[in-house]
Amino acid sequence: MAASSTVETQPVTMESNANTNNSINNGSSLLTATSSTNTNSPFQQNLVSSIKNAKLFVVGAGGIGCELLKNLVLVGFQDIHLIDLDTIDVSNLNRQFLFRKEHVGKSKSQVARESVLAYRKDVNIQAYHDSIFNSAYGVQFFKQFDVVLNALDNRAARTHVNRMCLAAKVIKRGLTECYECQPKPPQKSFPGCTIRNTPSEPIHCIVWAKHLFNQLFGEEDPDQDVSPDTEDPELAADAGKSALDKEAVQGATGGIQRASTRQWAEETKYDADKLFTKLFINDIHYLLSMENLWKNRRAPQPLDSDVNKLADSAEGDGGVDSGLSSQKVWSVEGCKQTFYSSLADLRLLKENSTDDTLVWDKTYLVRKPNPHKMLLNPCVLDKANPKCYVCSDKPEVILQVDPSSMTLQSLSEKVLKGELGMQSPDIELDDGKGTILLTDEEGVTEGNETKYLSEFNILEGSRLKCDDFLQEYNLVIIINVTTSLEEGELYKLIVDRSQLNAQPEKLPKEAKTEDSDDEMEVIEQNMAATGDRKRSASNGGDETISKKLKADDLTVS
Amino acid sequence: MRRDKNIMSSQAITEDEAALYDRQIRLWGLDAQKRMRASDVLVIGVNGLTGEVMKNIVLAGINSLTILDDAEVTEDHLSAMFVVSSDHLGKKVAEASLNAIRRLNPLVKVTADVSSVKDKDAEFFKQFHIVCMSSVDITLLTRVNDICREHKVKFFCGSVFGFYGFMFSDLGTHEYAEEIKVSKSDTSNGPTAAKQRRLNSSNSKPETETVTVKNTSHFESFKSTLSVDWSTLTPKQLKKTSHIYFITRSLLEFSTKSGHKPKMGDIDKLLAQCTETMTNLKLDPSLLLDKFTPSMACTPEMSPVCAVIGGVLGQEILKAVSQKDAPHNNYFLFNPENNAGIVETIHSKAFLPPAKKSTVVEELIL
Repeated sequence: MAASSTVETQPVTMESNANTNNSINNGSSLLTATSSTNTNSPFQQNLVSSIKNAKLFVVGAGGIGCELLKNLVLVGFQDIHLIDLDTIDVSNLNRQFLFRKEHVGKSKSQVARESVLAYRKDVNIQAYHDSIFNSAYGVQFFKQFDVVLNALDNRAARTHVNRMCLAAKVIKRGLTECYECQPKPPQKSFPGCTIRNTPSEPIHCIVWAKHLFNQLFGEEDPDQDVSPDTEDPELAADAGKSALDKEAVQGATGGIQRASTRQWAEETKYDADKLFTKLFINDIHYLLSMENLWKNRRAPQPLDSDVNKLADSAEGDGGVDSGLSSQKVWSVEGCKQTFYSSLADLRLLKENSTDDTLVWDKTYLVRKPNPHKMLLNPCVLDKANPKCYVCSDKPEVILQVDPSSMTLQSLSEKVLKGELGMQSPDIELDDGKGTILLTDEEGVTEGNETKYLSEFNILEGSRLKCDDFLQEYNLVIIINVTTSLEEGELYKLIVDRSQLNAQPEKLPKEAKTEDSDDEMEVIEQNMAATGDRKRSASNGGDETISKKLKADDLTVS
Repeated sequence: MRRDKNIMSSQAITEDEAALYDRQIRLWGLDAQKRMRASDVLVIGVNGLTGEVMKNIVLAGINSLTILDDAEVTEDHLSAMFVVSSDHLGKKVAEASLNAIRRLNPLVKVTADVSSVKDKDAEFFKQFHIVCMSSVDITLLTRVNDICREHKVKFFCGSVFGFYGFMFSDLGTHEYAEEIKVSKSDTSNGPTAAKQRRLNSSNSKPETETVTVKNTSHFESFKSTLSVDWSTLTPKQLKKTSHIYFITRSLLEFSTKSGHKPKMGDIDKLLAQCTETMTNLKLDPSLLLDKFTPSMACTPEMSPVCAVIGGVLGQEILKAVSQKDAPHNNYFLFNPENNAGIVETIHSKAFLPPAKKSTVVEELIL
């Protein structure tokens, strides 16, 4: 009964709300107190003008971007800049509602702008058909905006925008969390031996295919080998050895074990017959020779084994007579034809590309919604992590590495760019002299790339100052010399010093840029939410899964 | 128009449709798409919320959409709806929004009906598989829901009051399929311990398989959810129910009485209604009043709230027509005080969830 006196209806300014960092609970303060003011907006006058005058930057004009743009315009924002490097595809039309059939092939940002203007003429929208990584969008560019909104589908771009916002002070450093304050769960990766030897799920085959793509056309990475893995822990030592000894099999691969797959493929001018024979016949024979693997598994079938039978496997329709090309199950022969034609197409693309490498585009993954009673979890801005390796005052990370086994190029490509999201880092050794190890400037550090860290006298405790000019991001890497990394692991990155003393062995292995797709990340975040990232290898994983299963049970009402 | 209680899906999907709907077919499968494509939907009342719903279901590819509303475009529409602009002020809102909704997906037949829902009889509603109604008149909601229930038409309703909003669904007896993951019973057949460790250490899932199960869910009518005897609940049970439900209830009762949603000048009357609503339910009004910010319920529809509730409501409609995945039974509420979205099950049989039977099926025949 005491209600009406306790309810806050007195307007306060937007600024005071922004400072409390808790404006949601004071929502009433954003509203007009009387019905007579500003017929078209529910907000009080000074908030209306704040909204009207705010300059916004929306990064991405896809599924999220279209919806976001609509909501921003309806709420009253009038000065919006929009960037997307993509063009419209017919498969976008089922959800990106600002685009229609006649727009296919056109710039997403430009068509989104035109579509909005068709309904709301009084809005100012500036469209950029460009990549956000372009240096034209530097700190000065970002500084003009009051709010920057990410509507992106990949982590690399989100990370980059985060750095730019910190540098341009769009994010108030130290006040609230930046995108990188909480360590992201490692991107999903699979053991090499599963991918190369014993794939059991469709996703394993997709990863294998992506690796093959990179081996043949993309950036070569020794961690993405697709040939049989003789170091599979499942192979007893002698079994692997006996497999290795089979010279007949080895000979059949044409001696390619020694040259890189890429080099060999290029030498053969991407000969489809030779590649097909290696990948689907010889490699499989070789796998079959690793007998231990097939004791409790169905063994793979080389494609020369029963050629007639394989050729006869009729094209099916997945049990549904839809007649649609996308629903057909391909015959082995059909797969082979597609492999041949794709190889020819990609070879042409590669020849016409400027830097002789192709970039893998996208993958798709189905995600199941997970409805609890709480379908949308409440959220407020968290405080900045004082130890954040991006937004803290003096960001530092520890790199556990054997300096005699990592080149400067690996440090730059894998650690700084691949894992730490830098675009074009310079590296300086903090040795009192300020020795420049790596920089974009021509002629300064040529030849350094292929040298090992140890050749620069990088030792335990050495400090490397890494500087990204575009992102205005400076990070100190502290070297922790170790020789006890896991098999096949080049380094470990420790972003929080306390983890170093705690349980260094049980740190999650930071994976390479396996998949940066959005749907993938959602799954990982779910896992991170339920499981302790420092869980022990033997039992922690199961706990995560059992929690996930319980959550699934809840979906039945 | 409507053929049967179950949506028939005999017509083949064309290559053009397969290209357009490619991403969602990957998500929910061809059968679900066919069912969607055969469904006829009636939307009653054009506003920010139903604008979102219509956008979402037309993009996804239903067979037909009928928009029923005799009202005219007002300023409130402009701040919550993208597809009508100031040029449309004073025109019939169903007709003003028609072309823009059609353009979203030329494969969907969209028609406008500018007569009043009050003049429509059972024969009219029977034509549709789905009725989605945005009205704040409890009597009218109850009447349409009862007709739909009798004729096995799936019924949805919802409204947005400023920053607050809700949706409700009555799917009658609803059969649906869902895929659930179960861990493979691997004993001796699994990989060796060494590899298992490596699997775990790299965050891989253990081997699981997906099975399709068929479930049945029972829904109650809107009217019967209004007749829950809250006084029989223990304080603990009561605490589990979101106070947003009682706010929603008060907002609906206010609007039913006054013939419109509350405006800024109505705050005192609204607070009086909250007390009355709670007293009628034999509940302590402070349960609600301590947490309620009435001015946030007295503005025009907030478009982001419409997007949230319209997103959930649109998805619930698509789940209902495709008979795929568990529907929310039976309320979805938005709490603007902390931006939470809550699913509440409100049944007259005091909180006993309806019996559920699930069967694993090889091939799904619904």
